[in-house]
Amino acid sequence: MKILIVVPAFNEEKRIGTVLSDLKKANQKIIVVDDGSKDKTTQIAKKYTPYVFSHRVNLGKGAALKTGAEFAFKNEADAVVFMDSDGQHKVKDLPEFIKALEDGYEVVFGSRNLNFGVPLVRYMGNKMASLFVRLLFGIYASDLLCGYRAMTKKAFRKMNWESTGYSIETEMVVRTKQLGLKYCEVPVETLYYDKVKGVTILDAFGIFFQVLKWRIEWVS
Amino acid sequence: MGILGLQIVAIFFALAMIYFAILNYKRGELNGMEILSWLIVWAFVIFVSAFPELLRTFAKTFFVSRVFDLMVVGGFIFVLSIASISYMKTKRMEKKFEEFVRKEATSKLKESKRK
Repeated sequence: MKILIVVPAFNEEKRIGTVLSDLKKANQKIIVVDDGSKDKTTQIAKKYTPYVFSHRVNLGKGAALKTGAEFAFKNEADAVVFMDSDGQHKVKDLPEFIKALEDGYEVVFGSRNLNFGVPLVRYMGNKMASLFVRLLFGIYASDLLCGYRAMTKKAFRKMNWESTGYSIETEMVVRTKQLGLKYCEVPVETLYYDKVKGVTILDAFGIFFQVLKWRIEWVS
Repeated sequence: MGILGLQIVAIFFALAMIYFAILNYKRGELNGMEILSWLIVWAFVIFVSAFPELLRTFAKTFFVSRVFDLMVVGGFIFVLSIASISYMKTKRMEKKFEEFVRKEATSKLKESKRK
């Protein structure tokens, strides 16, 4: 099974080097999508992989993942693993994703141990969001917002997500249920380096309304 | 007196909006058809604000007891329509923009590979 790693990045010059270096040591083929960074993210990424895409402006995480995944699947990948560029995801957890894909799962969700090392506000928000999605769609992802994920080409083609921003993780879960894709969760280790980046309360409001919209669309 | 004050405010607001519409037209941001549509809308607002009694027949037709209520309901419908049209247009623009940026990123990589 040919698996490529897609790493979306936005102003991550400080940490992307370590992430890509770890991936390279693990002999993984990497695609980096620089989503309109103003720093040296692209230049640093180019040291580790020839496949660096640069969005001229910041479109959002969902769009960056789409650029990377489309390229991967056009280049004969059977599956992709999405991994954040801020160093919070560890390469040592990668074999779990690969194993799950080889076992026939179409979508694999990483699940961080939210009881450890996660700021309380994020923990509460994440759990409430998971329960809300379960209530509306009947699918429970214990870590709805974890960006460490994997999916097959078939799942990607079926999903054809619309989210360009941080609602992408939630949309993946929702679409997995709607399309009846075979999924599982794998535990991943996480370390928060940056408390100001990632999903903000404003993003959370946006995601909340998106979820309601998807539910209404699903009924009709 | 209160109503008169409100009428004056509405008329001044409509006049200001006519000024902005003309300004946008002169800058080439609105075409002939668009400026004409906006002028008709704001002229209607001025007319209705100056002579609200003209709407009484309409109010009766829609079983609304006060002309003011009819104007509020009409205003809401108008604003909601404009908001929904703007939303749809923004969504379409966003989609096109996203596709353009993503396509450009892909072609840039291909180009650098060829070199």
